Amino acid sequence: MSKIKLGLPSKGRIQEDMNNFLTSAGIEITKDGGQRTYVGSFKNFEGFELRFLSANEIAKELNNGNLHLGLTGLDLIRELDGKESSNVISLLELGFSRADVIAAVPNSWIDVSNMKDLADVSRDFVRLHDRRLRVATKFQNLTRNFFIKNNVNSFRIVESIGSTEGSPSAGTAEMITDITSSGKTLEENNLKILDDGIILKSEACIFASINEKWNTIELENIQKFLRVLSAKSMAISHIELTFNCHKKIDNLELNIFREYEGFFLNNFFEAGDNVSLIVPNANSSLCSEYLISLGYGPIKINKPEFIYQNNNNAWNRLTSVIF
Amino acid sequence: MNKSVNNIINALGGTSKLANLLGVNPSAVSNYRQKGFPARLHLKIIALCEEFSIPIDNEFIDKSKIPLKVIKSNSNEFLTHKSNSIMSSLSSDGYQLIDPPILVPADKVIDRLGETIVDRLYIFSQKDGIRLCLRPDLTIPTCLYYLDQGFNGEKKLYSYFGKVFQFYDEEENEPTEFTQTGIESIGDQDSLNADVDVFVKIYNTLKKEGINNFKTYFGDVSLFQEFINVLDIPDLWKKSLLEKFWNEEEFKVLLDEISKKNIKNDKFAERVYSLDIESALELVRGTINSSDGSFFAGRSLEEITDRLRKKGESYSLKPLSGSTKKLITEFLSIKDKPSLAINKLRKLCRSLDGSLLNKIDEAEKRFEIINSNGVDFKNAIFSAEKGRDVEYYSGFLYDFVWNNNNESIYIGGGGRYDDLIKLLGSESRIPAVGAALNLKKVERISQIESL
Repeated sequence: MSKIKLGLPSKGRIQEDMNNFLTSAGIEITKDGGQRTYVGSFKNFEGFELRFLSANEIAKELNNGNLHLGLTGLDLIRELDGKESSNVISLLELGFSRADVIAAVPNSWIDVSNMKDLADVSRDFVRLHDRRLRVATKFQNLTRNFFIKNNVNSFRIVESIGSTEGSPSAGTAEMITDITSSGKTLEENNLKILDDGIILKSEACIFASINEKWNTIELENIQKFLRVLSAKSMAISHIELTFNCHKKIDNLELNIFREYEGFFLNNFFEAGDNVSLIVPNANSSLCSEYLISLGYGPIKINKPEFIYQNNNNAWNRLTSVIF
Repeated sequence: MNKSVNNIINALGGTSKLANLLGVNPSAVSNYRQKGFPARLHLKIIALCEEFSIPIDNEFIDKSKIPLKVIKSNSNEFLTHKSNSIMSSLSSDGYQLIDPPILVPADKVIDRLGETIVDRLYIFSQKDGIRLCLRPDLTIPTCLYYLDQGFNGEKKLYSYFGKVFQFYDEEENEPTEFTQTGIESIGDQDSLNADVDVFVKIYNTLKKEGINNFKTYFGDVSLFQEFINVLDIPDLWKKSLLEKFWNEEEFKVLLDEISKKNIKNDKFAERVYSLDIESALELVRGTINSSDGSFFAGRSLEEITDRLRKKGESYSLKPLSGSTKKLITEFLSIKDKPSLAINKLRKLCRSLDGSLLNKIDEAEKRFEIINSNGVDFKNAIFSAEKGRDVEYYSGFLYDFVWNNNNESIYIGGGGRYDDLIKLLGSESRIPAVGAALNLKKVERISQIESL
């Protein structure tokens, strides 16, 4: 049996976010032969061979079939061929390193607020300047597909390796597409995001390569690993509400599921039982509000450490493609 | 179920054994049983069969579908009798056989063919950073050759023969390099003569090779352009309609938009339009400064103001009448045998300006002369909107499509492209027309027809 080759980011924000995530999930990394090497293993999970690479390389190596699994950004995988890559599948959204790939133009273009305006302007641009409008980007495939889908056909892509946001003021491009989490660097560079200019919402995910050979490795280790990661990411993105259900209301479970994507840990409960309700972070205050309005309360809110579910969806996704 | 593929898979030990040998999932192998082996595995399969001494069933791989790069030498179009005869037919009557560059500046090709072509180009960089690509067709290289010879409007007749390179998705099973042959007539001021000459030559070449069952699809984008020009509608809309002609979907949206009474008004644009030009510029400058847009990346103050004024102007215009909208839609939907289509166009446009009718007469005359050169239009269709899907041709254009019961194959086509050479760098606009054939397709069709 050979080891599971897992690529983990070796630098940047995604690495910091990942370290925090793994530490809180109780997973420890050992680097073979000291801190500076690029291979390692997990202290408490057997069977993994860790390869520390840049997030970009992880995407490429997954596509080439040189890694079984990899932790990297969704943006980088989608950029591989501009659409959902057929060689690489996403197993689990981890919920950290969130950022959007967006299209942005200079603030001075006060006549441009959406992609339709951009289609117009790009056509005028060729006529007025005898060349196509230039778009600086690290995401050539995503950009090309998105622009063409939005009927922007008259443009030229200028490959940018770093500091894409500076290209318009440096005069090497008229506009950009780039990844941003806060939009702050865009603001500092006098750029604005188009209203419908969100090309992709990205986050860190665990991916599997369907090109790699899967028949010679111990799959049970992967199953365990994915279960822990799922439980942790679920806990990070959800919150627990506990309260006494002093009266039963018809369709309570159904309404809460529909309106707030929440579910009860208690399979069955009766009036007077203490119940535990899990909802996404973003819906916690609205859901509490709703419960109070029904006459429940006090409600105690806890941040869970792990939420293990019966279904291991990430594992199911993997087995559906490799078997 | 593909019987011969199944035989191979079974002979190699069955689904899971072969999956193991190929390093793929068993489910993939099950797929091959249904769909055949993907092109990228053909060489591997052949090698495995040789290794295990399994006789290869000739049918299991359709040789014509293997990318050329893995074909050893048995299908070289350069050597066949047919290719030779097509070539000598095209390079007669003063059409000089030239050898245009294989490497062409990528930026010129992309600027001309648009960003969508990038997916299909083989691009690489020189040491000095200049991006080159393998030629995706032979028209652009021929024009570059013409310019490189120092010509600027002189009449030249060229013929060519050579490989072109376009990347295809492997699922399509298309070759990434194929041989094209064709002719170009550059600089002939007598457009009618050049149009006819090029068409008749390429058409007769196909006939001479015994290819008969093909349809010719004609179009002429300059007719539509003239049609819009003579309509009694605001110039702003003429310009927009002509620009959006190249995108059917956008054209429809625009046509609906300008036919409606209440377009969603942009108050700011309206205000910019209501002012005199100096005050408008002042207003726009002030607005930009206050919105922190302290620099004018790529577009000038005048350019932005102008666009806002046009937007503002469009709100003040009377919407397109229902009858004009209907006229435009009817014009574009005309599709019939050439002589019938011409009559329909003439009837539809009888009350419009004479310059359009002259153009229709010209188109009719072109068909008559082509006809007098021995071309019959039994298998020909003229469509008023043909050519809008590629922003390339500027006038007369045509495609040849062969079909029998099972398949239809695009053989080649051509047309007039009067704007191309100027865009590639000439000082003035140089009229040009050309046509090309895909030799691989021609070969395949003559094989099918000779059976």
